[in-house]
Amino acid sequence: MSNSVTARRSRSRFPLGGWESSLLVLFVLQVLASSFSIPGFFDSFSSWLGLTENFLPFGIVALGLSVVILTGGIDLSVGSTAGLGAIVMAELWLHLGMPIWIAVMIGVALGALVGLINGLIITRFNTEPLIATLATSFIYRSVGTALAGESPPSGFPDSFNALGQGAIGGLIPYQLILFSILAVLFALLMSRSAYGRKIVMVGYNGDAARYSGLRVGRIVTSAYVISGAMAALAGIVLAAYYSAVRPDMGDILLLTTITTVVLGGISIFGGEGSIGGVVIAVLLLGFLRQGMLIAGFSDMVTTMVTGAILLAAITIRNLLSGRGTGMALLVRRFRNLGRDKLTEATK
Amino acid sequence: MKNMKWAGFLTAALLGLSVTAHAADIDTSKRIRVAMVPKLVGISVFKANQKGAIAAAAKLNIDFLYTGPVTASAQGQVDVFNSLIARRFNVITTTSNNPTELAPALRRAMKQGIKVVSYDSDVAPDARDFFIQNTAYPAFGKALVDSVAKYIKPDAKIAILSSTPDATIQNEWIKALKAYMATAYPKMTIVTTQYGQSSVSQSLTAGLNILQAHPEVTGIIGPDAAALVGAAAAVQKLGLTGKVIVGGCSDPDAIRQYVKAGVIKETPLWDEVKEGELVMYVARLAYNNAIPRNGSFTAGDLGTFKVNDGVIIFSDPLIFNAQNIDNYHF
Repeated sequence: MSNSVTARRSRSRFPLGGWESSLLVLFVLQVLASSFSIPGFFDSFSSWLGLTENFLPFGIVALGLSVVILTGGIDLSVGSTAGLGAIVMAELWLHLGMPIWIAVMIGVALGALVGLINGLIITRFNTEPLIATLATSFIYRSVGTALAGESPPSGFPDSFNALGQGAIGGLIPYQLILFSILAVLFALLMSRSAYGRKIVMVGYNGDAARYSGLRVGRIVTSAYVISGAMAALAGIVLAAYYSAVRPDMGDILLLTTITTVVLGGISIFGGEGSIGGVVIAVLLLGFLRQGMLIAGFSDMVTTMVTGAILLAAITIRNLLSGRGTGMALLVRRFRNLGRDKLTEATK
Repeated sequence: MKNMKWAGFLTAALLGLSVTAHAADIDTSKRIRVAMVPKLVGISVFKANQKGAIAAAAKLNIDFLYTGPVTASAQGQVDVFNSLIARRFNVITTTSNNPTELAPALRRAMKQGIKVVSYDSDVAPDARDFFIQNTAYPAFGKALVDSVAKYIKPDAKIAILSSTPDATIQNEWIKALKAYMATAYPKMTIVTTQYGQSSVSQSLTAGLNILQAHPEVTGIIGPDAAALVGAAAAVQKLGLTGKVIVGGCSDPDAIRQYVKAGVIKETPLWDEVKEGELVMYVARLAYNNAIPRNGSFTAGDLGTFKVNDGVIIFSDPLIFNAQNIDNYHF
C-alpha cells in the first residue's frame, strides 16, 4: 500500500500535485479578478498584505489540524484550546505580572499539554477522535470561561498587539512572517522527514503501520500535541489582533479550518495530502472571504459560500480519491484505461 | 378660561414650528453612507432599530446599509467593520457583542476619519465618538425590580436569570436593580443568579433548575430577552402561573403570550423603532460635526437630547403590560 503512495508521489517532478496546482491557479485568478473588480481590495500592496491579518490565525490552526487529519483523526477542540491558551496567557500577564512573552510561551505549552491529553485519551482508551475531542472541547471551554471571569483581560502592551496588528516597516504583517515560517517548517516536516512519512503511513493504513513496527499510539498522540500547540498559538495571535481575550474567541476557528484543510487536499480519511495545498487553501479562502466582504456581501453569504466550498471540495476529492465510493472506482478504472492506451501508444 | 385654551394652542403651535425649524437645521446637502451593524442579523429588536433607521435615513439624505454577522460573534462584527472601512463608509453605527474585542477595528476606522456611533451595547469609550444608551441604568434597574416586586410580598425571595456572566449591560442592570431593591424593598432577597447564555432553551433549563432547587422563590427577574422567555416558559411548564411572577425585559413579540397568560405582569423596555431613528440622526449630526461632546442637540421630531461626555440617553423605560402590549410589534 505504502509503496503505491510513495510511487505516485515520486512520479511528479513538480513539487505540487495536480490538486495543489489547480488551487494555486484558482488563487491567482481570484486575487487578480478581485483586484480589478472590487474597489478597496487592492488599494496598495501594503493594504492588500494587511488583509492577511484578518485570516492568518485560521491558517495557523489549519497547519496543526492538517497533521491530525493526516493521521486519519480529527481535533474538534482547536477552538476551545485557542481560547484557553489565550486566556491563560492573559491571566498570567495580568494577575501574576509575568512578562507577556513568557506568558505567551506558557500559553503555547499549555496548548501542547491539552493536545497531549487529547492524544492520550484517543490512543490509550481507544476513543473515537471525534467524540474524545468533542468532549474535551467542552471541558477546555468551561475551564477557559471560569478562568476568564466576569471581565476577561484586555488592553495588552502595544509591543504584543503588534503580533496581531503590526507590520514590519508598515508593509509585511508580523502575522504573515510567523505564518510563513511555520508553513515552511510544517511542509519540510511532513514531506522531508521520517516523522512526516510515519504520520502519512499511520493515516493511510494504521494496521499496516502497526505490523511494520511503528509505534502508532505515540505517533498519533504527537499529532494532537502539535495541533494543540498551534491552536493555542493561533488564540494568542487573535488576542493580539483584538487586544483582548474571550473564552469564546476560538469558536469561529473550527469549521473554517476544517474546510481549509479539506480544500487543501488533505483526505478527511487520512494518509493523503500536502501542507503546500493547505497553505494555498488558507490564502485562497482567506482572500476570497475578505474580497466578498469588501464587495459588500453579507457575512451570511460568505458563510454560505464557505459551506458550499467544503461540500464541493469533499465531493470532488471523494470522486478523485482512489479509496471511496463506486464512483471513485469507476473514475480509477477510466484513468487506468487511459493510461493503458497511452502506454500502448508509446510502444 | 377661553384665553387659557388659546394660549395652550398657541404654545403648541409655536412648539411645533420650533421643532420643524430644528429639523431643517440639520445640513443634509451631502449624501453620506451610514452602516448599521447589529450584534447579529435576524433578531427582531435589531430589525426594529433597522425599521426606524430606514425611515430616518430617507429624511437625512443617508445611503443606509444594514449588515451584520450571522452569529453573535465579535469576530464576525470585526470582519464587517473591516469591509466597511475598505469601502469608505462615512459613519459606522453598531451595538457590540463585547466591549473589548471590537475596539482595535473601530479605532482603525476612526483613524481614517470614519465616525463611530455605538448604541444599545457600548464599546470601549475611546473606540467610538458617541454612545446612545437605551435608558439610564438606575431608571431601568428600578423598572426591572418593580416589574416583579409590585406583585409579590415585600419579604419575598427572588432569583435572577441573566444572559452570560460577562454581559456588560446585564451586569450594569443587575447592579442597578440591587441598589434600588436595597432601598425600596429592603426585606426582599436574591437567592440565586443563574445564566441562560442568551439562548431560550438554555434559559428554560436554567429557569427549571431555579424553580426546582429553590421552591421558596416567588419572583424571577430576567434582564435579557432569552432569559425572560425561558423563565416564563419554565414557570408555565411547572404550572406555577400566578404563584411565581416573572419580570425582566424582552421585545414584545417574544413575550406576548406570557403577558396575556399572566405569567408576566409587566416588563420594561424602550421603543426600539424610535431608537433606530435616533441612531441615524446622531450619525448624520456626527458626520456634520454638529453634536457637542457635552451639551445638547435636537433630533427632528424625536426632540432634544442631552450629551454627557459622548453618551446620549435615549429614553425612560417604556413599560409593556397586558393593556398596551398589542400596540407594539417588534
